[in-house]
Amino acid sequence: MVELTVNGAVRQVDADPDMPLLWALRDILGLTGTKYGCGIAQCGACTVHLDGAAVRACQTRIGDLAGRRVTTIEGLHPEGRHPVQLAWVSEQVPQCGFCQSGQIMAAAALLAENRSPTDADIDAAMEGHICRCGTYQRIRTAIRHAAAQG
Amino acid sequence: MSAIERRSILKAAGAALLVPLAPALAQAPAPRVITEAAADSPNAGAGHVTAFLRIGADGQVTFLSPVSELGQGTHTAHAMIVADELGVPLAAVRVEVGQPEPALRLQPVNEMYSGASFGIRFWHDRIRRACAQAREVIVAACAERLGVPAAELKAAEGRVTHAASGRSLGYGELVEAAARLPLPEQPRLKPVAERQVTGRATPRADIPAKTNGSAAYGHDIRLPGMVHAVAKLSPVFGAELDGFDRAAIAGMRGVIDVVPIRGGVAVVAETTWAAMEAAKRLPVRFKPTPEQELDSAEVSRRLRAGLDADQAIRGRNDGDMDAALGSAARVLEAVYDAPYLAHAPMETENATVRITGDKVEVWSSTQHQDWCVRDAARAAGVPPRNVTVHTPMVGGGFGRRLHVEVVEQATTVAKAVGRPVKLVWTREDEFAQGYWRPAFAARMRAAVDADGKLTGLYLRAAGQSVMGDYRPGLMAGPLRGNDPFSLQSVVDSPYRIGAFRAEWHRIQAAPKVWLWRSVGGSQMCFFLEGFLDEVAHATGQDPYGMRRELLTHNRRALNVLDTAAMRAGWGTALPPGRARGIAFTWLYDSLCAHVAEVSMEGSRVRVHKVTVALDCGDVVNPDTVEAQMQGSVIWALSSMNEAVTLKAGAAEQRNFDGYPVLRISGAPEVDLHVIRSGERLGGVGEPGVPPLAPAVCNAVFALTGQRIRSLPLSAHGLSV
Repeated sequence: MVELTVNGAVRQVDADPDMPLLWALRDILGLTGTKYGCGIAQCGACTVHLDGAAVRACQTRIGDLAGRRVTTIEGLHPEGRHPVQLAWVSEQVPQCGFCQSGQIMAAAALLAENRSPTDADIDAAMEGHICRCGTYQRIRTAIRHAAAQG
Repeated sequence: MSAIERRSILKAAGAALLVPLAPALAQAPAPRVITEAAADSPNAGAGHVTAFLRIGADGQVTFLSPVSELGQGTHTAHAMIVADELGVPLAAVRVEVGQPEPALRLQPVNEMYSGASFGIRFWHDRIRRACAQAREVIVAACAERLGVPAAELKAAEGRVTHAASGRSLGYGELVEAAARLPLPEQPRLKPVAERQVTGRATPRADIPAKTNGSAAYGHDIRLPGMVHAVAKLSPVFGAELDGFDRAAIAGMRGVIDVVPIRGGVAVVAETTWAAMEAAKRLPVRFKPTPEQELDSAEVSRRLRAGLDADQAIRGRNDGDMDAALGSAARVLEAVYDAPYLAHAPMETENATVRITGDKVEVWSSTQHQDWCVRDAARAAGVPPRNVTVHTPMVGGGFGRRLHVEVVEQATTVAKAVGRPVKLVWTREDEFAQGYWRPAFAARMRAAVDADGKLTGLYLRAAGQSVMGDYRPGLMAGPLRGNDPFSLQSVVDSPYRIGAFRAEWHRIQAAPKVWLWRSVGGSQMCFFLEGFLDEVAHATGQDPYGMRRELLTHNRRALNVLDTAAMRAGWGTALPPGRARGIAFTWLYDSLCAHVAEVSMEGSRVRVHKVTVALDCGDVVNPDTVEAQMQGSVIWALSSMNEAVTLKAGAAEQRNFDGYPVLRISGAPEVDLHVIRSGERLGGVGEPGVPPLAPAVCNAVFALTGQRIRSLPLSAHGLSV
């Protein structure tokens, strides 16, 4: 049994400590907002926060998470109204949307440590996130928008 | 109007009240159409019977869309059309994907699928007409109820109002009576000036759920008692399963079973991860195949041989090509080629299947509902009418999901293990299993007269057929071997050149190829627009001006070309180290021109800005059109770096580490100019793709003098 703290709640997970957090979230805890895209930390679709920092859930063993706080897209804001989420709606960012949980978690982590990122900062922080629909222009706009909202 | 369409609309008007009012309807004078609808509509299962529309007693409108929401915004656009023409608030319209039935199928193939940029261009007029008919019988029912002439009534915001007496009734109160009235054959469609919803930028209904983790994709389906399955498939095309060593994974935690499926095996476990780990360890053997040594060099040889082959299908033959070449002062020639490309949608292929007795339910992120039903029925051994297909949110389609082989695989597993199963492909399977865009090559010759004028253009293409293996009946029958996607956008290009011949030689190779966003247009535009640019430079003409000369007869095309050139500042000075390139296409009834502005940063082609002019006839949701054009530019720009290569019969690229899709730092500004010509509606999702690569390559030539005749750019030591 592995103990995880996810979105503020302590959860007991009956799984191998080697299981990546991604699959514990999706298949055991039913938190399916975190996505599987590649399994090798190339696409960013599985990005969650670990103690506030953006990490790839596909590369994070649940056995290593004792005493750590995991935040998923479902827990980013109680009503889904984090400034980044609001900006994503007002700028109409998502198309298929499959990568967007990861994009939003990365953008929220960026703004938590850099309140007014330059375009270069934005590109650097978001470069690890693939969007096949091609929403990159709107992602940039939405992050600038969220930054301006403070 | 066809009988099918008529019946659908009849269903639409009255459907919702069928269940509560069944006893009354039994004595009603004209229940015929409702009975018929109830009898044959698979959409009757939910309790309300309809093809397109349900109107509840509470006024809630449900539109049963024939199209999957792939992120292209079609569901919101459909709701907008319904709200507009039916006269209800947009918020009162809910959109669901319907079950396959005649009214929801595309013609002429008679299948329910989302492709060919059909979402609006095929469905707009049909939806509008159905809604106009429904509105008119609702008004007629109100006229009868209030005892006033219909002409004195106004239908809007879900109510019919008699202004003179101040009385009004909601649609929900009228729909029962409306269902018994004959539908008008010639409903009055709202003229453009009266349309209040369509044509205005409208937020998409699916977006909020895509920002908080609640949007449910095929990957996210969870059913009681469900088990997880992961496939282990042959990376060599066409290789069949020879055997596997179950003992190697005996005792692994959470593993339930191994089931042979088409193309390999599925490992079934309590979690996806347990299934993945077991699949990695499970030894699986595949039988030999004739093409197990196929590599990219051999595919290239076949393509080159196809350029020289005697046999070819001729798709276009204007004027006298032989005479034009024979009498030319100069003949220019070039050979171009383009590689296999993967769709690589962010959500890998998946299907969840539950078999209950002789009934089968399928949840799949699909673009083809009819093939989901067909394949699940076949694998489960039940009639198609016993299959229900649920279409969740789809994590990217781009044509890939018009094939649904995972549905048959998941059904096979569900049948074998006796529990609901979700089968998810790994990213590695997604790359290896194909349905790639075919690799193509083309040889082009231009006849130029003594004045430097282009008098003839010959194009010989070679490549696999995307239709050939999957619609053999159509290919052998009506198409007579001529795959319409092979020379797509060349055969019907509006360019008028004295002589213009285009032909295609079909090659055979094991990789499965299929429709990839913009299909044949993607290679053909790269070939044709690159070569026209060469002709312009070789004859001392401006590339924009020469295209203009070839389009003088076509006002729409000229307008698109002129708009892109003017908005991009064609011909005006640029900062040192920058250059522009232009390209144009005609695809799915839309016209599109791109001007790309580039510079070089070492070996990286930096695309700063793409000016886009699009004439798609008219626009339902301008914001969605903008999003699609931004996405098309990114998709096509990305493709300039991409290639799937073959070694020993299999893809060399198995994940994103080997397949460099474009990331945010490569995203250019897109300056879009939409021309609402009022002509026939054209597609939006795909026509923005083809002109991008040639526009960029033409700009690179203008800047550096390097002519790029083959992709990916890495073959030239470049990238975008």
